[in-house]
Amino acid sequence: MIDTEDLTRKFGSLAAVENLSLHVNEGEVFGFLGPNGAGKTTTIRMLCCLIGKTSGEARIDDLSVDKEKDCLEIRKIVGLLPENVGLYESLSAYRNLDFYGKLYEVPARLRQENIERLLELLGVWERREDAVGTFSKGTKQKIAIARALIHDPKVLFLDEPTANLDPEAAKTVRDFILELKKEKRTIFLNTHNLEEAEKLCDRIAILKTRLVAVDSPKNLERSLYSRKTVVHLENLNAEVLAAAKQLGKVKSVRASDNKLILDIDNPEEDNPEVVRAIVEAGGRIRYVTELRSTLEDVYLKLIREASAQ
Amino acid sequence: MRLWKSWIVTQKDLSVIRKNKYVFYSLIAMPAILGIILPVTFVFTLNAEVAVLSHDQFLATARELINISATYLVLISAILPSIIASYSFVGEKVEKSLEPLLATPTTDGELLLGKSLAAFIPCIAVTYIAAAISALILDSWSYIRLGSFLIPNLFWVASVAVLTPLACIMSVEANVIVSSRVSDIRAAQQLGGLVVLPIIAMLLVVVVSAQISMILAILVSIILIVADLSLFYLSKETFQREEILTKWK
Repeated sequence: MIDTEDLTRKFGSLAAVENLSLHVNEGEVFGFLGPNGAGKTTTIRMLCCLIGKTSGEARIDDLSVDKEKDCLEIRKIVGLLPENVGLYESLSAYRNLDFYGKLYEVPARLRQENIERLLELLGVWERREDAVGTFSKGTKQKIAIARALIHDPKVLFLDEPTANLDPEAAKTVRDFILELKKEKRTIFLNTHNLEEAEKLCDRIAILKTRLVAVDSPKNLERSLYSRKTVVHLENLNAEVLAAAKQLGKVKSVRASDNKLILDIDNPEEDNPEVVRAIVEAGGRIRYVTELRSTLEDVYLKLIREASAQ
Repeated sequence: MRLWKSWIVTQKDLSVIRKNKYVFYSLIAMPAILGIILPVTFVFTLNAEVAVLSHDQFLATARELINISATYLVLISAILPSIIASYSFVGEKVEKSLEPLLATPTTDGELLLGKSLAAFIPCIAVTYIAAAISALILDSWSYIRLGSFLIPNLFWVASVAVLTPLACIMSVEANVIVSSRVSDIRAAQQLGGLVVLPIIAMLLVVVVSAQISMILAILVSIILIVADLSLFYLSKETFQREEILTKWK
């Protein structure tokens, strides 16, 4: 659905985005992570035909961002939630959505239905005639999301959808994105919130002007740090520790309180044998768990590496 | 260019203008002053002259003052757009609404035309209301005093029907250009006020020439039409989506 090939954007001598090549599948929720100034918003703006590119290629649904005619078509199939909601504060929620519905060429009856459906879903229907200026940040964000969806776009670009929202409003927005995911809509999500990205995205790209990594959250976590097996014991003693260290399949052993943290290449296959050895050495196991690196660990490591280069 | 798209933008802008008290009252204030106070002042002036002038002199003076009132109407239509049109794009910037607006399938031309119409319609409407009030006051006086209506006369009709809209369009376009180039409302209004000054000077020449010769006035009107079209083209050419999005903070 979204394809870029060596997409580059420079402002003067400063490269905001450099040689970005990625492919986003139809119906995929694609997370775009990166620190401030990494080029996330610039990428979205290039893909939405809001600003031009310096070099490379970008296509949405086989339409090129290069051609003016294609750009008008791209804008029809794309919904954008920018970083700033940008609603008309003196106009009502309904009037705001109606205005955008008209600009997106949604027929009158469908427009009315869409506005009602979206505002109902987001819990704002009862206040549809109130001026947007009287709403809280969270409610404004909901209306801005409804605006991005008013024309039922194939692709949705969300730039920091939960930034500056209180936890409750952020959860409502996240739940709504999950609903959209069920509809198999292609969603391109710019976010700083790693937990949010992990929860919502099928795949994640980490950007720092250049593409640093792209994969599913789970694969990213696995690719950088091996998983660890944690054996929780009633009482950790020297015999048990020695037995664990003697096992050839265990690469390293670390003791912490009454826990053994074991680095094992293939835990699914080797854990039963490890557990047996510990029990035979007199260890009384309470439970065995898995210790994984978080997306945050992965993100920070990759960004530090990219900065060092 | 799809005119219906421009009309959607116009309707939205008109709704926003209606809700903006500062713009709304500013729009009403000037025509109220020039549409009521000015003709009333003329009436008092003429009443004071009636004892010292012959009937013909009195009639000539009355006609001259009526032509001056028409000149003021042309000037109002050139000044008013600096209130609305200078707010045009900068207002969108202040509300941070330009990015979602530019993301819609609307062309630059459609957007500019929509915004220009939104500034033109209330300005010309308010000017015509001022013209109607002014004509009512002056005609009532002339009917009572002279037994005939002095308005409309050829100069008054030409000024109100031709020069007023042309002056208004010119001022709107100049202000829209300013508004799309600056990022601050005060700067937009100050610059908008400045660009109106040469337009006003030019209009004064036009109006004075119209009093001298109607053919000259027609010629200058044609020049004004060409200038209006050129300014719209220029506003399209100078409207840079990318610059607005990347440089406006």
